[in-house]
Formats: sequence, C-alpha cells, structure tokens
Amino acid sequence: MNIVVCIKQVPDTTQVKVDPQTGTLIRAGVPSILNPYDHFALETALALKEKTGAEVTVISMGPPQAKTVLRLALALGADRGILLSDRAFAGSDTWATSYAIARAIKKIGKADLILCGMMAIDGDTAQTGPGIAQQLHLPQITFCEHVAVSGRKLTAKKLMDGGHEIVEAQLPALCTLVLPADYKPAFPSFPEIAAAQEKDLELWTAADVGADENLLGLKGSPTRVDRVYAPPQRARGTVHQGTAAELVEKLVCILKEENFIKC
Amino acid sequence: MTTIDAVSRGLMLDSLREYAKRKLPFDYIRELDRENEFPAEILREMYDPGVLGVHLLLIPREHGGLGGGTVDIYRVCETLARIDLGIATSVFATFLGTDPLRVGGTEAQQRKWMRKIAEEKLLVAYGATEADAGSDLVNLRTRAEQVVKNGKLAGYKITGNKQWISNGGVADLYTILALAPGGPSWFLVERDATGFSANKHEDKHGIRLSNTAGLSLDDVYVPADQLIGEVEGQGLQQAQAVFGYTRLMVAAFGMGAGCEALETAVRYSQQRIQGGGPLSQKQGYTHKLIVPHAVALEASRAYIHAIALRLDGEEHGLQTEGAIGKYYATEAGNNAAEDAIQALGGYGYTRDFPVEKIKRDVKIACIYEGTNEIMEMTIYRGRWQEHLKSRGQYYIGMAAELDALHAQNANIGADSAALGLRALARILEDCRAQRLTRHQHVTFKLGELIAAAEVAANFCKTAAAKEYNEGVRMDRACCEAMSRVCARETALAVASQGIKLVLGAGTGSAAELSQAVSLVEIEDRQRGVTEDKDLIAAKLNETFRPR
Repeated sequence: MNIVVCIKQVPDTTQVKVDPQTGTLIRAGVPSILNPYDHFALETALALKEKTGAEVTVISMGPPQAKTVLRLALALGADRGILLSDRAFAGSDTWATSYAIARAIKKIGKADLILCGMMAIDGDTAQTGPGIAQQLHLPQITFCEHVAVSGRKLTAKKLMDGGHEIVEAQLPALCTLVLPADYKPAFPSFPEIAAAQEKDLELWTAADVGADENLLGLKGSPTRVDRVYAPPQRARGTVHQGTAAELVEKLVCILKEENFIKC
Repeated sequence: MTTIDAVSRGLMLDSLREYAKRKLPFDYIRELDRENEFPAEILREMYDPGVLGVHLLLIPREHGGLGGGTVDIYRVCETLARIDLGIATSVFATFLGTDPLRVGGTEAQQRKWMRKIAEEKLLVAYGATEADAGSDLVNLRTRAEQVVKNGKLAGYKITGNKQWISNGGVADLYTILALAPGGPSWFLVERDATGFSANKHEDKHGIRLSNTAGLSLDDVYVPADQLIGEVEGQGLQQAQAVFGYTRLMVAAFGMGAGCEALETAVRYSQQRIQGGGPLSQKQGYTHKLIVPHAVALEASRAYIHAIALRLDGEEHGLQTEGAIGKYYATEAGNNAAEDAIQALGGYGYTRDFPVEKIKRDVKIACIYEGTNEIMEMTIYRGRWQEHLKSRGQYYIGMAAELDALHAQNANIGADSAALGLRALARILEDCRAQRLTRHQHVTFKLGELIAAAEVAANFCKTAAAKEYNEGVRMDRACCEAMSRVCARETALAVASQGIKLVLGAGTGSAAELSQAVSLVEIEDRQRGVTEDKDLIAAKLNETFRPR
C-alpha cells in the first residue's frame, strides 16, 4: 500500500500576534513548525505502515525552507519526501494549492490512501484536503479521528457534533484528520534525524508535475483577501451573585434600565 | 568536521526542547534544585537512542556515534544551558570524560570504549582536579604505580583523591589523571573497580541538578591497556589539546543561560506597568538592565559561532580563542543573569521565578574549565607572544582589516572597532616599553581588554556578512545596531582603561597617551549610541513577547 501524507510548515500561531496598525502577522522571533494536524496525519500513516508495511511519502508545497518539515517527517519514519517549490506557486489559495498537490500525487503514481490534516493552524480554512480529493475524483472522509485499513477497505471514525460516525470506503480515498485530545506530537531522536539526512528528498517544480501555470499562484486563485484584522475584544460581562429571587429581581431591573422590556 | 547539516541540527535542538518541555517543567527542575537531586532517569532517557541519544553526538561515526562537530555541540550546549545548566554540565562531563580517549586513545582503545559509551549509554566523568591541583595540574598527587607480572607490565595501581568531579558519584566510567613513572597519564577506571569510591554529593550554590563529588582511589588496579594511548607521560598534552574546544562549550553555557535570563526579563518588562506604561518602554530600565547584556550576549554568540566554524574547518588548537570565548561569554551571561534579577524586582529575588536559579547556576561557568582569571592570563599570554613576534603589528593588521570592512559597510561600527584595536596595540606597546607586565594585575587586565576588542571586531565581521548564519538571531537592522554599540563602547573601554592601566603602573603623560590612543576620536564615535539602544530595545520587545 502507498500512503501519501500532505504536510505544511506553519508559524507557531500560539506565538503569533496581529499588528493592529497594518493587519499583518508579526512573524519576528516566531518559530516555524509542522502543522499539528498534519503531524497527526503523519503519525496515523506511520502507524498504518507499522501494521501493513505501507510505503509513506510526504509531500509539501512551500518555499525552500519548508524542507525542514519534510526532513522531520523522514526522521519520524516516512520513506520519501517531496517538496513542491516554484515561484509559480507563490500566492496560491487553497484551490490552486489543491490543484498543484493533486498534480504531484498523480505524478507519484499509485496512491492508495491520502492523509491530510483537517486544517492548517495558520489559515484555518480546512479546504485543501477536500480540494485535493475533488481534483483527483476520490472519495473523501473528513474530520477523522482514526483510520484503519483492511485489504482495500478503509474504515474511519469520523467526528460529528455530539458523536461519531463510522464510515467505510474503498481505496483509493482521502481522509482529513482532527487532533485527539491532549495530542503531543512525536519527536525524533538524534540518530533518527541524522539518518533522515540520507533519505530521499526531492524538489519538484510546476513543470515537473505538468501543472498549467494559469491555474497556479495568484492567476489560478479565485480567493481575494480583502484585509486581515484581529476582531475587537468583547467587553467582559458582569457577574451578579445572590439567591434566585434576588437575581431575578436584579435581572428584570437591568432589562428595564437597558430598555429591553417595559412595564 | 561535522556531517550534520543545519536542518538536522535545527531538528535535534527542536527535539531537545520538546523533550524538556514535557519532562523538565520548571516546577520539577525547581524541586530537584531545592532537594539537590541529580535526575538520573532523565539523563538515562536523554542518552537513550530511542528517545534522544544526545551523547551520540559526541561520539565519532566509526564508533557508533553521530560524529557531531563543534557547531553542533555548542548549539546543544547552549540549548541545554537554557533548560538547566546542571543537566547541561552532566551531559558535558561525559563529553569531557571521553576527550582524553578521543585525543590520545589508540585505535583499539577508541574502538572498544567509544562503542561501549555509545551502546551502553555510559555516563562518563573527567577526573583531573585535586585539592591542590586545578588549572595547575603539575601539582598532581594521585599516583599510578606499575604492576609487573612475569617481567611484563601488566597494569597499574592508582592511589589518590580527586575533587569537584562532575558526575563523580553517578558515572559508569571515569578518565583519571594520575602520575605514572613516565609522567602524568590518563587511565580508564570503571565504577566497580576494587578500591574505587565516590564521596558525598556536594551541596553547591548552583547547578544543583549536576552531581559533583570527590573520588577516592585506594590501590585501584587497572590493566595496562587502560592507560590511554598506552604511553606514559602524555596526560597534560592530551588535557591541553582540547581546551580550545571545551572552553568554547562552556562559553555556550554562559551565553545560553544568560540569554534565557535576559529573555525572561524582556518578556516580564512588557507586562509590568509602572507610572502609566510598561517597563519595556523606559530607557532608564532598558538601557541599563537589558540592552547592554543583549549586545554582549549576541557578540558572544557571533564569536562562539565563528570559532566553532574554524574548529570544524580543521583548524587545531585555538586555545587563546577558546579562552576569549569562555571569558567573554560567561562574564556576559553572569552579568545578564545578575541584572535579570534586578529587572524582575522582588519577583526576581524569589524562587518562584527562574532568574534567581539561573544566576546561581551560571556563576559556575565563570569558575570551571579554568576560572575567568586563568582565562585572562591565558589570553594575555597567547596574544602577548603575537604582539612581540609581530613587533607590535598584530592588532595594527587586524585594524586595517576592519578599516577595509568599514569602507564596504559603514553601518556596523567597523571604524570604531579599528580604533579600539589600534588603541590596544598602543597600550600593549607601552606595557612592553615600560616593562609593565611585571605587574600581574596589568597582564590580567590586558587579557580582559584583548578579549573585548577581539569579540567586538568579530561582531563587526558577522554583522557585515551578506547572509547571516545561525550565529545571528536578530534581523539585520538590529544586528548592525548591536555591532555599532559593541564596537563604540569597546573602543572607549580599551582606550580609557588602557590609559588607566599604563599610568597606574608606569609613567607618562595622560595627554600624550590620550592622543596616542585617539581617545577624542573614539569619544566622538559615541554619537548615536543612545538611538541605537532605543532601536535594540524595541526589537527585543518585538522578538521576545510575553507568553
């Protein structure tokens, strides 16, 4: 079985703030990390590799420095890494990105299972995974907590509002993964990192994957970002304490004062 | 020469930080510090190749390690120091303990023992120091007597006492320096050897997570093939050979611990509102307690990185450079931690905040691996020879390089650094002409001024580089401002303190000497320093925001 995991390098958004004047992210001093959702997708793939002997290929689209997350994936146990990097990709929205990655997956050849993080923590769109499935005309199961494979049958535990859904599909298929509670991403040891330096890491351009340049970058992206801003903080509510009767009386007074009710 | 690239190195540091985040939260470290406890299971785990395998970086590839180079190892030392300097010391002791083997071991010894250390995750200790033998190892008292069987040398019996041995009470393997008939020699001694025992764990001011103990050796027998190099009398040369390297690692300790303290203060200062605004916006606070240390620490980082690259480029020795790095960076770290306590006010003085512990910990970096006074002497000796050999041209030549750099890039203060170097050359020459180096105080002070001038000159080169390497953390505008401040203030310190030194010990006129060292010109270069410090303070606040 061949598994492809799509991963992205993102700023550690737990440390990013928005500049209130310019509306842009303040990136100074903020480390880049592997998107945690993708990290879990990778660990899911590696667990399947353990059980089935599958080959795991990781793919990322980004600037040359994004090879760091591919190296991390190789150190954690992925077999092959591919970085899609080309000026033609710059400015791609989720649709153009899905197109480029789908082209790369076609080039890889036989992909039985494609795993993506549910979303990236920098954009929170959750569109790229479904976009790739659409481009490749594959069945997709989103919001998976767990994925199991038996023969050509895929069984996924899908998170729903207030419950779970167990969904089956035939391979090939694409799943996006949510994060388990208290997820702590695995980290590689020093020898694993050193060994990953020897593993295959390829650099592919738009031409390498046969992508139509008109469908890439700003040209291929229907999304236009109007502005980015931090929403104003909501004023804190007030808390009143007392017996039920006192509180009802207080509440009615407030509603009257604020002209919500008249009596 | 390292085989590890920058991406791998970055990932290793990430793994180390991630491990520490999970296993070494501050509350736990604080408890170990209070209880004076060595976290043995943490060290075992850090050495476990399935978890981290940190020690493998210290072991050559051909012996089952990862063959880390100087840059790799200093980056790990810096990162460990930011976590806990006691744990850092314990890891470093293994490294130091294997050094005599790396430098002087026979091929067979290296194959056997290095592999054993790698595979069996051995904690190693370096047993050189004694009650009367520290940096003066010639006073060594521990003896190794030859044991002859059937007319053939079978082994040695070692007797003596060692003191202040890191990992002393917990190591599996010890490298022990002892006086053999042929002179000082290193021996490999295993923990379970008969007659070998470790004394109590010392109750120290800082690095309390590191086990430090004395060792007693009473007729401890070691076979002849455990004499490192299998030739007697090589011990002191073997110890000396790696000082450039090992002292650079202690430099990284000082720099790393200092940065941790400084960044804690920068983050705190943005949250503490006083007189209507955060402390971080007040020059009286930033320009005294924060910015000078940030400049000294970044200058240290640039210097350590430059020397590490040279060592990885197969330059050998660099003992004077190692001493300069150790002296400058550990003083910078110690001073930064001291002022971080001040910067946090009452909080800084409590054990609930980390800076008080960092201050206690980082002090050791000014003491071990040769005290900073020994460093002043070593630096002076090394460069005094250069001054004499070059007939006073050593720093004049370096100044010309800096002038050339200034012609290419006028933003980094290279002209001021050049003035500082020329002033230094002049002060050295006056000391020679008046024979002032007969005063020990003069020689040590010269060591201090030499270190400052060379670190400032190197910082200019780093700041001028077209592309910044990982020795630079700040952006170009900030790095250039730091380089300017460092170069200008160092030039002034060298000139004014140099004058004081010459006039204090010798004769001459202050007016003539001031002119000779271009004091007024150097003072003129101080224009704009306050504005640069404003910029640096703002960048620090932007980079190290409250968590």
